[in-house]
Amino acid sequence: MTAGVDRAAAPRRGNLGPFLIVGVAVVAIFGLLATGRDPWDDLFINPLINALVVLDMVTLGQFGLAIILFTLLLRIATIPFTIRQLESTRAMQAAQPRMQEIQKKYKDPKRRQEEMLKLYREHNINPLGCFMPMLIQMVVFIALYRALVHLVGGSPESLIGLSQRLYPIEFLHGQVPLEQHFLWLNLGSADTTFALPLLVGLSTYVQQRLTITPNASPQMQQQQQMMTWMMPMMLVFLTLSLPSGVGVYWVTTNVFSLFASYYVYGRRILDWRQLLPSATVEAPGAQKKERPASQEPEDTAEREPALAGGPVGKERPSHGKRRGKRKNRR
Amino acid sequence: MAALDPKPESGSECDNNTDDDGDGWVNEGCPRVGSESESGKDCKNDTNDDRVDDTSDDDKVNDGCPPYVPRWIFPPDTEEGKKLDLEGIYGRPAIGGDSVYFAAYDDSVYALDAKDGGERWHFRTGEPVVGAVTLTGDGRLYVGSRDAKLYVLDAKDGGELQHFTTDDEIWSAPLVADDAVYVATAGGRLYALDRNTLAPVWDKPFDGGAGLISDPVLTDEGTILVGGFGKTLYSVDKATGSQVWAFKAGNWFWGRPLVVNGTAYVPNLDRKVYALDVKTGEEKWQTPFQAEAPVRSSPLLADDILIVSDGHGNVYGLHPEDGTLVWSGPSLLGKTVLSDPLLLDDKVLIVAEGGDLFQIDPQVGTSTLVRVVK
Repeated sequence: MTAGVDRAAAPRRGNLGPFLIVGVAVVAIFGLLATGRDPWDDLFINPLINALVVLDMVTLGQFGLAIILFTLLLRIATIPFTIRQLESTRAMQAAQPRMQEIQKKYKDPKRRQEEMLKLYREHNINPLGCFMPMLIQMVVFIALYRALVHLVGGSPESLIGLSQRLYPIEFLHGQVPLEQHFLWLNLGSADTTFALPLLVGLSTYVQQRLTITPNASPQMQQQQQMMTWMMPMMLVFLTLSLPSGVGVYWVTTNVFSLFASYYVYGRRILDWRQLLPSATVEAPGAQKKERPASQEPEDTAEREPALAGGPVGKERPSHGKRRGKRKNRR
Repeated sequence: MAALDPKPESGSECDNNTDDDGDGWVNEGCPRVGSESESGKDCKNDTNDDRVDDTSDDDKVNDGCPPYVPRWIFPPDTEEGKKLDLEGIYGRPAIGGDSVYFAAYDDSVYALDAKDGGERWHFRTGEPVVGAVTLTGDGRLYVGSRDAKLYVLDAKDGGELQHFTTDDEIWSAPLVADDAVYVATAGGRLYALDRNTLAPVWDKPFDGGAGLISDPVLTDEGTILVGGFGKTLYSVDKATGSQVWAFKAGNWFWGRPLVVNGTAYVPNLDRKVYALDVKTGEEKWQTPFQAEAPVRSSPLLADDILIVSDGHGNVYGLHPEDGTLVWSGPSLLGKTVLSDPLLLDDKVLIVAEGGDLFQIDPQVGTSTLVRVVK
């Protein structure tokens, strides 16, 4: 309990970063608007276009590889956000039974809110933890689509737009036109073989199934099950109409997410049975739901680490050996 | 691709069923309906229905103005034609005898009957074609493709006579001069090949460093002007392939230079048009002409007025001597213009985005949206 209180009292790590980034972005946007420029182009599209041209040079003119390299660099740069999101999600799931208890126990909304906030602090949960990675993903997704229209738009006239967006650096201009072909794909147009849309759908499905978190609530479990189908299906149809380069980005980011999930969740994600649509993962606290609240141990530290919300945020991956060491330490 | 009738019947020719101009069409340029059709000065705008009356058949814009009547449109409006997607035509067509030749972005070169637009043959290249085809008097058709090959086709039947593989994609039209064919590539090379054997003429191709995408143009000085992504326009000796001079601008050279009386008028995507001495490469105007948008289209000299159109559809009339404006301001077409203008019957024709055809009076700069009757 003491450890939990200490943690709660300690300043929350990393909270300032996202706010700083958003703050700087807002100031930059207003600054550009004041000078009559398009902030979306100046802050996102144009830097992305130029970065991709540089990476095209690094990958010896293989623009498909440049997209993959860009995705990997972006994911590595944002890995603190990603890890925090995964940890926060896991902590949130682990705290589900306690949340339900609080919902039942406290009828006064103010008190209930206080208890919930306390629980969040104990478990190191940031309810907005998934906001920043999702925001980055969405911005990059849209910006990449717009950038590809100029870079490998499929039609010669798209290059006129590119000429106005490249920075006045000699080697950038010398790199044009970019190679549109990569494997069987034309990166500037949609993949009519259906192979890439299927890969996007499959990788999204696998990524979601393998990282699905245990859930105490059957309703939430049902929602998760539905999302694991809906999201890949939606992306398949989306990829059918978008430039293939966007699909390459999506597949790469999914593969990276799998590795990130392995780092956080450990071997659990390697269980192939989770790929089955009927497979469900029960939360450790799910069976305890039947127990009267009075029988619940008061001290959360006595629970399973994941449930009790030990140092979830800094918890090492639950790989076999490490788990053993943790038990010994306790 | 369409063939338009530049002189349709009109005026007094409209009152009978006789084919007055002998082109096989009757009353093709006459107002179709309504007594209050727009005509004369009403034709100078493209959006206002100047002569609105209460009759239901007179609610069109420019409905009494002389239209360019299409004699044919390719692909035709048939089941077969609807299946054909040309994906875009970027190069100007070539006309030889009773055939029209053009290359499309669907990886094909087409030959059509000039009279009825019927397809005579088509030839498949490995990749799309961006540049124009070049037709020679001996019935050969030269075309460069993005598959990095220069093809020589028999204009009669579209049979491949020869091909030459270059270092990179070809985005421009080949230039045939004397016994050589010159072809520029996106890899930055300019090749000079024997027009009969396609054997290289120079010891090694000229290397411009970055992609060369403007159509190579021959000057009276025996040099070839070509530019591209490297923001540089090169003058290359056509006999040896050595560089004579180079001119650096702010952005890419894509539009074909216009060479008149020792001056090259060169458009650039830096929104400027430069007048250069073809001998030395020095600027002739005090300052280059500044347009509002990137200039991709080639300039055109009409009635001693240099016509320049930019990407935003602003058309300017300039004095060729000093680059100053002839008209008080640009003629606003309101549409993106990337194609080269065309001079027909003392009027400038410009095809804008979406296929809209504009007619411009080069003396005063008034523009008219030409109604094309389908």
